Amino acid sequence: MLHLSANNTLLEATLIELQQAVQENSPLVVDRIVSDFDHTSFHLVTPDNDNRQFIHLSIVTKAWPSLAQCGGVDESQLIQFINGKLTNQATEILPKNQTTQGYDMTVRVDLTKLDDESIHNLSLLKTYVMSFPFQLAFDEFQRLSQQFATLAPGEEESSLSQPHRGQSYRIQYRDDENIYVQPSNDRITVIFETIFKDETDKIFGKVFLQEFVDARKRNRSIQSAPQVLFSNVAPREIATTSMENSDSRFITFVLFPRHFNNTETQFKTISQILQFRNYFHYHIKCSKAFMHSRMRFRVNTFIKVLNRAKFDSEENEDGEKEPQQRRTFTGRKMVY
Amino acid sequence: MSDWRRIDIDAFDPDCRLTANDLIPPYERQVTLQELQPKMEQLRTLSSGGDTRGAVQLITQDPPYSADDTTKNQYFQVVLETLSQVRQADIINIVKELNTEQQIVLVKYLYKGMSLPEGQKQGGILLAWFEKLTQSSGVTPIVHYLSDRRTV
Amino acid sequence: MSQSLRPYLTAVRHSLEAALTLSNFSSQEVERHNRPEIEVPIQSAELLLQPMHISRNENEQVLIEPSVNSVRVNIMVKQADEIEQILVHKFTRFLEQRAEAFYILRRTPIKGFSISFLITNKHTESMKTGKLIDFIIEFMEEVDKEISEMKLFLNARARFVAEAYLGEFVY
Repeated sequence: MLHLSANNTLLEATLIELQQAVQENSPLVVDRIVSDFDHTSFHLVTPDNDNRQFIHLSIVTKAWPSLAQCGGVDESQLIQFINGKLTNQATEILPKNQTTQGYDMTVRVDLTKLDDESIHNLSLLKTYVMSFPFQLAFDEFQRLSQQFATLAPGEEESSLSQPHRGQSYRIQYRDDENIYVQPSNDRITVIFETIFKDETDKIFGKVFLQEFVDARKRNRSIQSAPQVLFSNVAPREIATTSMENSDSRFITFVLFPRHFNNTETQFKTISQILQFRNYFHYHIKCSKAFMHSRMRFRVNTFIKVLNRAKFDSEENEDGEKEPQQRRTFTGRKMVY
Repeated sequence: MSDWRRIDIDAFDPDCRLTANDLIPPYERQVTLQELQPKMEQLRTLSSGGDTRGAVQLITQDPPYSADDTTKNQYFQVVLETLSQVRQADIINIVKELNTEQQIVLVKYLYKGMSLPEGQKQGGILLAWFEKLTQSSGVTPIVHYLSDRRTV
Repeated sequence: MSQSLRPYLTAVRHSLEAALTLSNFSSQEVERHNRPEIEVPIQSAELLLQPMHISRNENEQVLIEPSVNSVRVNIMVKQADEIEQILVHKFTRFLEQRAEAFYILRRTPIKGFSISFLITNKHTESMKTGKLIDFIIEFMEEVDKEISEMKLFLNARARFVAEAYLGEFVY
C-alpha cells in the first residue's frame, strides 16, 4: 500500500451495495457514517422509509468554511462548482435549508439511476470539494499568463522582477494546518503548513522532507515532477497571511504548466497533492512501526546472549556431562 | 525526651561513617606546584629530545600523590603530552621495561586521562597504551588501581 | 571492526574482569539489609572502589563504578546527529522497559549516559562472570551497528517514498 487512493473506498462500497439491493428489488434502509482523512466524514441515510430509492449523502469537512470563502462572500460558487463535477441524472445537491443537521452539504442520490461512473464520482466527493480553490487558481493562471503574454517586450523586463501574482487561496484543512494555493503568471505554488506534535515525528519528518526536496535532483526520471522546497519559516508568499507558530513546517510544491495543462492532468495533480499530508504522515508511522518490530527482535537476541551466562543452561549447551544420578538398589536417588 | 527512639544516634558518633577524605593516606607534607616544576621541565626536554622511554620512566616514578587537585591536573597535562608523543610502535617496549609499581602508576594516569575532556580527545592513544599494558601484564595493574586510595 | 574499536572493547573487557570480583556484603546502615553499595543514597567511602573511565572519544565512553558487592556499568552510545540521538533514546528506552528480562539492566541510566547496567553479587553467583562480560561487550558492538542500520533504513525509506510520490507527477 504505497499510494493512497483519491476516492473513499468505503463510500464506494456502500453505494455499490445499496445500488445492488435496489436492483434486486429489496432496497435497504441505511444510516451509516463514513470517515475520511482530515476531519472529514460522510453520512449516508435513507430519509424516507417508504421511498427507499433515495438516499441522502452528506459531507462535513474542516475545510468547508475556508473553501467557501475562496470563491467570494458565500458558498454558492463552491456548491455550483461541485454541482458541475457531479452532474448527472442520479444526483441533486439539496438547498442549504434541507442540508442534514451538522453537515456542510447534502446530495440526494437516486439509487435507480446510479451507474458505475457516478458511483465512482460520488466516492471522489471529498477530492472534488477540496479541488475548488485549485480550479480557481488554474483559471487565475490562465488570465495572468495571457495578460503577461500581451505585454510589450519592454514591459516584460520590468514585470519579471515583480512576478505577476494572483490572489492566494487558503484551505484550513485541520485545526492549525493550512494549504495555500498561489497562482502566478508562469506557475502555481502550493504550500503545505503542517505541524508535528511529537519530537520523534519532527526529526523523522525532517529526514523525509529532505528526501522530497532532493529526490528530483537525484533521480533523472522524475525531473519533470514539481519542485519541492522545505523550510521552517513561512515562505514569502504567505508570510503575511500566516500566523507565527514555531512548530510549523512549510512544504512548497511548485507546479508548472505541464502539471495542469489539461483536465486529466489537473485532476491527477490535485488528487495527488491533496494526499500529500496523509501519505507522508502514514510513512512516518510505518517507519516507526518497523523500528519497533526491529527493536523487539534485537531484544530477543540480546536476551539469548545473556542467558548463555546462566549456569544451568550453560552446562546443557556445552554438552558438559552432568554427574550421573546414582540410585540405590531400591531405586532411590543416592544422596552424597 | 519522649521522642528518644527517633534520635539519630549515629550523628553523635564521629567515627561512624567514612568519607572519601578519610581514606586518603596521611601524607607527611604536600607537594606544591613549585616543587614539581623542575620535573615537568625535565619531562618536556626528554620528550622533545626524543627520549620518550626516559620520559615515561620518569612519570611513572614517584607520582605527586600528596599534591592537591589543581596541582595534579596541571602536572597531568604534561604527562598527557608525554604519553601522546610516544610512537605507537614503541609503546609495547616501553611498557615491558616498567616494573609492577610503575605499571600501576601508568594505569592510574590512563584512567584519569580518559575521564578528562582533554584526554578523551586523545582517546585512541590512551587506549593503545592500555591495550599494550594489559597485553604485557594482564589485569594485575587494574586490580591494584581499583583498591589503591592514592590518586594521581 | 574499525581500528580504534578493538582497543576500546578490550579495555572495557579487562576493566570489567578486574571489577567483577564481588562478594556478599550486608548493609552497614540497616540491619538485615543487603543492598548494592554503589546504589545506596548515603554511601560509605570504604566500600567503593576507584571508578574507571574508558573513553574512545567524547561521544563514546564507559564508566565502571565498582563497589564491594556491586558494579555499575554506564555506557554512552555514539550520537552523531539528532536522528541518532532519537534512535538511541528510543532503543535504550525500549530495552529498559524490558529490564526484568535482562536481570542486570538498570531501569534508568545515570545522568550523562545512555544506558546503565547494575551487576550485583547475586548475578555473579548465579551466572558466569566471563559470559556476563561477553554480553556487555557484544551489547556495545551491536548497539552501534543497530543504530547505524536503523538510520540507513530510515533514509532509504524516505528516499523511496519521496521518489514514488513525485514519480506520480510524471505524465
